[in-house]
Amino acid sequence: MRAAEPVAATLAKDGAAKDGARIEAGNDPGLPDGGWRIAAAGRWTLEWATAVSDALDRAPKPPGGAAVRLDLARVEALDTVGAYLLNRLAERLGADGHAVSVAGLRPEHAALFDAVRDAGKAPPHPIEREHHPVLDMVVRTGQTTVNAAKEILDLVGFLGLVTVTFARLILRPSRLRLTSVLFHIEQTGLNALPILGLLSFLIGVVLAFQGADQLKRFGAELYVVNLLGISVLREIGILMTAIIVAGRSGSAFTAQIGTMKVNQEVDAIGTMGLDPVELLVVPRALALMVTLPLLAFYADVMGLFGGAVMAYATLDITFGQFIRQLHSAVGINTVIAGLIKAPVFALVIAMVGCYEGLKVSGSAESVGIMTTKAVVEGIFLVIVIDAVFSVLFSMLGV
Amino acid sequence: MAGSPVIRVRGLVTRFGPQTVHDGLDLDVERGEVLGVVGGSGTGKSVLLKEILGLIDPAAGRIELLGHDTADLDRAERTALQARTGVLFQNGALFSSMTVAENVMLPLKEHTDLSPALIAEVARVKIAMAGLPPDAGTKHPAQLSGGMIKRAGLARALALDPDILFLDEPTAGLDPIGAAAFDTLIQGLQRSLGLTVFMVTHDLDSLTSICDRIAVLVDKKIRVGTLAQHLADPHPWIHDYFHGPRGRAALDAKERNQARRHEEEDARRLAKG
Repeated sequence: MRAAEPVAATLAKDGAAKDGARIEAGNDPGLPDGGWRIAAAGRWTLEWATAVSDALDRAPKPPGGAAVRLDLARVEALDTVGAYLLNRLAERLGADGHAVSVAGLRPEHAALFDAVRDAGKAPPHPIEREHHPVLDMVVRTGQTTVNAAKEILDLVGFLGLVTVTFARLILRPSRLRLTSVLFHIEQTGLNALPILGLLSFLIGVVLAFQGADQLKRFGAELYVVNLLGISVLREIGILMTAIIVAGRSGSAFTAQIGTMKVNQEVDAIGTMGLDPVELLVVPRALALMVTLPLLAFYADVMGLFGGAVMAYATLDITFGQFIRQLHSAVGINTVIAGLIKAPVFALVIAMVGCYEGLKVSGSAESVGIMTTKAVVEGIFLVIVIDAVFSVLFSMLGV
Repeated sequence: MAGSPVIRVRGLVTRFGPQTVHDGLDLDVERGEVLGVVGGSGTGKSVLLKEILGLIDPAAGRIELLGHDTADLDRAERTALQARTGVLFQNGALFSSMTVAENVMLPLKEHTDLSPALIAEVARVKIAMAGLPPDAGTKHPAQLSGGMIKRAGLARALALDPDILFLDEPTAGLDPIGAAAFDTLIQGLQRSLGLTVFMVTHDLDSLTSICDRIAVLVDKKIRVGTLAQHLADPHPWIHDYFHGPRGRAALDAKERNQARRHEEEDARRLAKG
């Protein structure tokens, strides 16, 4: 068992704490024609680099044209930083017109000193041109616009590709991967039930509570059912479902396909004469188009149930009253107006998720970027299309 | 501290669930040597490396780095010790969001109080010493080839002038010419910087050309020796490893190289005399 030694002191580069680096400069009568001697001593290592760098800047300058001898005999330790600083000193003196000679370099330091000198000869990397803030902003705006336009164009192209593949599969249904479709139905549908149910229920509760507060003032408490029925069935149920599915499954599609892209699995599929779109995209799109309407209906039910619970708790509207009022407030058209959007949203979410996944390139970092993009684009498109539907419905008078 | 091993492992035991990977493993790495670590797949080469680096805790045993038991250190001491070791991971492990120069500058910024200008200059020297072209510093890792990523990783590992350099399969994934050039680079840096190198490798050419000693992981323990000692070892795995077709090819290449060097020296001597 060795005696306990102060760890910190020995850890600092073999006891560097005891002695730093020093530099002495002056006229040396021993040298011919008024030579100037710069002697380095001590430890020329990383720990002392700042002090050394300062000392070098402060050291008296040799008179113009004098020959300089760089005496390194008393350098005890040398690392890359020390060697670099000494080389830089020699170089600067040389540039000022002094004839520089290096003397007393210890043999164990010579290899490092030479290696650093050779490395230092490499020209510094080019400095990037100065950026103009306003110009940069214009450039960035232009680039973003062009990229967004390209993206939309590509997405439409991708939709076309998937549609053609779909059509081919209808002609030869045996090629459809039924197992894969069922797997994704389970992943995107069944496994989403708990979270979607809870959130829809809570939204129903909140809507009923806020509505009740306002309607109570007019003595029209019962109309809370109309408010709930129309808003949940037409908009909120389907929109909540689409947003949750975009966050849950759209991102999963991108991550799954993106990881396969990084592992070159997608390339492997191509080399085996299989079609990545048929194998990866169609089952996911199909699964989502099946599950999203079902999920939306489930969300409608849970939302209304939440509203009914809240209506009973705060307004003493019984479930029987609630159902009767609901019957008179909404027709089957309202339900259809909500659910008819579901397959469209499903297609958009699946398209964006798979498209961004296939666009992943090379690194794992790109999987993350594309996944974020898929979620943002998916939710964005869902809301835009929902607005289009609203305009359409109002024009048709539905 | 001269004379005492820079890495000392005693009675190391590693378990993953019911599986024992190392059982009472002892290892000494001397200052200034290049140690190659070999072993079959699943014998725990990389695990040993991670245990020495403190990334995985062993089930039992002591690991001393530069004379300090890694288990006894507090946070600050551990950080000080980490500043004296450099690691080149198998795939470079460069931070992909930073340029090569920023990668090399990061440890300097974190562990030293150098001025930004000096840090940039030192990073430039390191990048050049790792054999990269000057414009590589401004590139991101994604823009580099496999060989350049390894060199950039090496430049970052050497940023703080470590005493010990750990290499995890440094030549894996490089073409033979690139691998040989990388071996030469490591040897040159090892000599000029006085490094101790701990190298996990599968590359027989690296083992025969730059390693002073070779540690073979067999039977959950380690056997350290020179190439000649391993060649005479009757252990079936070691025998197959060094006497298999690839082992023979690497040894033949080494002999040819030595013979050529002798001829060149003779020719030089003749030319002089």
